[in-house]
Amino acid sequence: MDDPSAGSLLVPPSPGGQPLWAPGGPPNAQRLFLPHEAGQAGWRQLANDQRWYERAVFYELVPRGFFDSNGDGIGDLSGIVEKLDYLAWLGIDCLWVLPFYPSPLRDGGYDVSDFYSVAPECGDVSDVVRLVDEAHRRGIRVISDLVINHTSDAHPWFAESRSSRDNPKADWYVWGDDDQRWSDIRVIFCDTEPSNWTWDPARQQFYWHRFFHHQPDLNYENPEVREAVLSVVRFWLDVGLDGFRLDAAAYLFQRDGTTGENLPETHAFLRQMRKEIDRDYPNRVLLAEVNQWPSDVVDYFGDSDECHMCFHFPLMPRMFMAVRREQRFPITEILTQTPSPPDGCQWGIFLRNHDELTLEMVTDEERDYMYAEYASDPRMRRNLGIRRRLAPLVDNDRRVAELLHALLLSLPGSPVLYYGDELLMGDNIYLGDRDGVRTPMQWTPDRNAGFSGADFAQLFLPPLMDPVYGFQAVNVEAGFRDPSSFLHWLQRMLAIRRHYPLFADGELEVLPADNPSVLAYVRTGPGADEDGARRAVLCVNNLSRFAQAAELSLDRWEGVSPVELIGRASFPVVGAGGYPVTLGPHSFYWLELEAR
Amino acid sequence: MAPEARSLTALATAYLAGQAWYRTATANTADAPVRLVAADVLLEGHPGLARLVLERGERRFQLLVGWRRAQDSARVLHGRESAILGSVEDAGEHLLAYDALADDELTLQVLTIATGGAEHAERVRRVSTLVSHASLVFDERLFMKCYRVLEPGERPEIEVLFRLDEIGFNALLAPIARWRAHGHDLALVREFLPSALEGRLLALTSLRDLLARASSEDSSGRGPAFMPGAPTGQELAADIDLATAQAGGDLASEMHRLGATTARLHLALAEGFGDRPAQPDLMAAVVAGSRARANAPAAAATRQLAERIAALARGEAGRSIRVHGDFHLRRVMRAETGWLVAGFSDDPLYATDLPHASLPARTGSPVEDLADMCFSLGVVAREALAQRPPSESELASDLAAAWCRRNRLAFLEGYATVPEVQRLLPSEPATTELLLEGFERVRERRYEATFSGA
Repeated sequence: MDDPSAGSLLVPPSPGGQPLWAPGGPPNAQRLFLPHEAGQAGWRQLANDQRWYERAVFYELVPRGFFDSNGDGIGDLSGIVEKLDYLAWLGIDCLWVLPFYPSPLRDGGYDVSDFYSVAPECGDVSDVVRLVDEAHRRGIRVISDLVINHTSDAHPWFAESRSSRDNPKADWYVWGDDDQRWSDIRVIFCDTEPSNWTWDPARQQFYWHRFFHHQPDLNYENPEVREAVLSVVRFWLDVGLDGFRLDAAAYLFQRDGTTGENLPETHAFLRQMRKEIDRDYPNRVLLAEVNQWPSDVVDYFGDSDECHMCFHFPLMPRMFMAVRREQRFPITEILTQTPSPPDGCQWGIFLRNHDELTLEMVTDEERDYMYAEYASDPRMRRNLGIRRRLAPLVDNDRRVAELLHALLLSLPGSPVLYYGDELLMGDNIYLGDRDGVRTPMQWTPDRNAGFSGADFAQLFLPPLMDPVYGFQAVNVEAGFRDPSSFLHWLQRMLAIRRHYPLFADGELEVLPADNPSVLAYVRTGPGADEDGARRAVLCVNNLSRFAQAAELSLDRWEGVSPVELIGRASFPVVGAGGYPVTLGPHSFYWLELEAR
Repeated sequence: MAPEARSLTALATAYLAGQAWYRTATANTADAPVRLVAADVLLEGHPGLARLVLERGERRFQLLVGWRRAQDSARVLHGRESAILGSVEDAGEHLLAYDALADDELTLQVLTIATGGAEHAERVRRVSTLVSHASLVFDERLFMKCYRVLEPGERPEIEVLFRLDEIGFNALLAPIARWRAHGHDLALVREFLPSALEGRLLALTSLRDLLARASSEDSSGRGPAFMPGAPTGQELAADIDLATAQAGGDLASEMHRLGATTARLHLALAEGFGDRPAQPDLMAAVVAGSRARANAPAAAATRQLAERIAALARGEAGRSIRVHGDFHLRRVMRAETGWLVAGFSDDPLYATDLPHASLPARTGSPVEDLADMCFSLGVVAREALAQRPPSESELASDLAAAWCRRNRLAFLEGYATVPEVQRLLPSEPATTELLLEGFERVRERRYEATFSGA
């Protein structure tokens, strides 16, 4: 397979030089490392591809929680560099690093007090340079959060702005004499913030903040502010970052009589940002965090002149509810309402992320009744206010975890994985909502889960030590050594997905099935192969914990013998009439068909 | 050029006599002669197509007849030889006449003809359904009911469908075309949503999930379903309603949405066909009449219900509208856009006096449709229970009853969320409950009458 856009799929040696498979390992091991052989040394190339993000698998990680390189108990950017070989082996294409800027950490680092440097415990700017370079050498790109709607109140800009009404930055934030303006605009963190306005005794005025009161909103009406933000963008792109996740992108501007979200001025600024980036920095990505209904989110793609990617938020709770209800409509419903992104644009889809609580608070419940049901479902409600990782959320059920990942990897969009979920890592609900899912990455059964050489007492958060998810058994080393591990399974699946670009940018057609527990859809590749036929893969999923049978309408492929992707076994030829399939509990098939 | 009508009629009569549905439909007119009412040639040439309308006694039937040269027929009718009527001659040519709907090419032509040239399709497949009509799916996007048993005037189903569509009620499988001739509705073409599923299937999925918990050693029943440790049988029995509510496959939210859709349906029926005050004495008579097949205690209870209903003042009993009349979980479908109402009064589930006839249009209280749907929950629950092993029966029955309670309530609550629908209901919720109970008993009796011995 010589697709230049996929780069050269060579695999680096595993950490420690251990063979990747036990002797006589899984019979399909060789086959699955297409087109190369396991254990061959080499590096992946960074694809020179303007549209790399359309086919990329993203990996979200918390810098403080990944790996500690200097023994202070806190993960750092250099630590990420040391683990790039692992990430390259896993097969991810782009790292998404959560904010590493200096911050008082009252909002997980999203309260930034200096845009031009790095929090000291994480490293410094030269570490970012090195991270980007080393990642690129392994064919991995790096993006980070760009928090542009607001800053921390500890930021020098705000200190200056609040100091008087006529300093140079007086107008850099949104000040008002009273708190009555824009009273229709909802309060996002309504549990903790009574209003979007907070009184500042220093300036004797109110300032506007869509989020916490210690995160004053920047005033985008002020061209200096817009220019300052663009300078930040340029700075980090010069450092070498491959793009940004634009946090809270919907809220930049305010206007009387509006919801303060998705305003035309906001789109205009994003398009301006995009224009500058396209002009001076090729092959970068802007990924917008806009928690809206998909038909509204597409506005952030513009005419392919705004953001390259947007997260698809409603899909995630629906995937969980579909498995819970054992029927497919939660998913098929949202798929039929999800527009195809414009050319050059792509959805970002995910199973978990770091920030679900925000989702609950901002989702329009009337439009997404499924989210309301997810939040009120008795089992989910136990978890409300406590963020859970994937594995505990599915009660560590391996089959369900595989099924959900199969959906994630085969539905349209670029998948975003959360660090540690490849190990089915657990969480620690007693640490409070955010920290519970940011415990140290579990590398080995050694001290501190191999995360840090510091004393246990110094660790920024304790690693998990319970009998089910404790690091003694759940760690990368165990995942490597156990050929049946979920880690190996996921790595294989990512390799398979990479081999079939249609998973990334192909069309989607949901197929009818007479069994509500069976979800079937076909992904069809955009272009014809050398035989003139279009490649197609049929994905059949059993959402039930019981074995199921269904009949699918595959008339178009009459005469074709489907081939299962993972094992390459031939399935019965498609005849006239319904095609019967039987599926074990929570199992799935990816069946290659020729498209007609 | 077409074969002579008389020879076709003779062949058709013989052919029909061999069809089970025809024999049922003409059971009480067995001695009456068959008369040709109309023979319309729709396509000349080979293959050709004609429509015969035949009459026997009071009933009329439609048969679409196709013909081909004998040597072409084998290829087309391979495997469908039972559709052959016989040989005919036309201008010296030997032709084979057959039921046209067995011929794909002709069937595709029928679609085009029936829609006045508006629709064309490339593929057709036959769906086996009930027999008063042939059911055909074209290109997986159009559905045609080609009626075999004809009815005078407008078929209620078609009338309702087009009227609702006209006034903008969109929770329907949209009507596309109606084919009429000789004073009869001959076929209905409507949209087809292949991914839509009968409500009954969703209900069975929900029940399967719930009843699996009745099995004390069901390891698969413990499933992930995001629950740490499944409730034991004891825990379940202790609070069965809670356990039912917490089941992963809980259907309540879907029933809630169905309730809201039903309310909109009733409002649309009221808008489309009018409404007037409900008549308590008539309703009481219907309820009282259902005692006939009940056992003694049930009959007494039913009589009391009827008396209470009869005692209602006019104006206390809500409004009377054109009801759906056959509203149950097989008549609603879940599609990607939500719930749809499919099927009005045609091929009713329950026995009627005249086989293969539509339920006539009927006015009544909207509560009758609600009672039908509530009763339908019990029917599906019984179906699911029948599939469980007998050893679980007690707990499983309790779970099934709890499931019915929960979903009934969700459905009625969903119905009530559409505020305008209150004007169709009795002003007192207690009266609505009374009517509901009465009509559920009527349904119960009717169900037993239809399926006793089943």
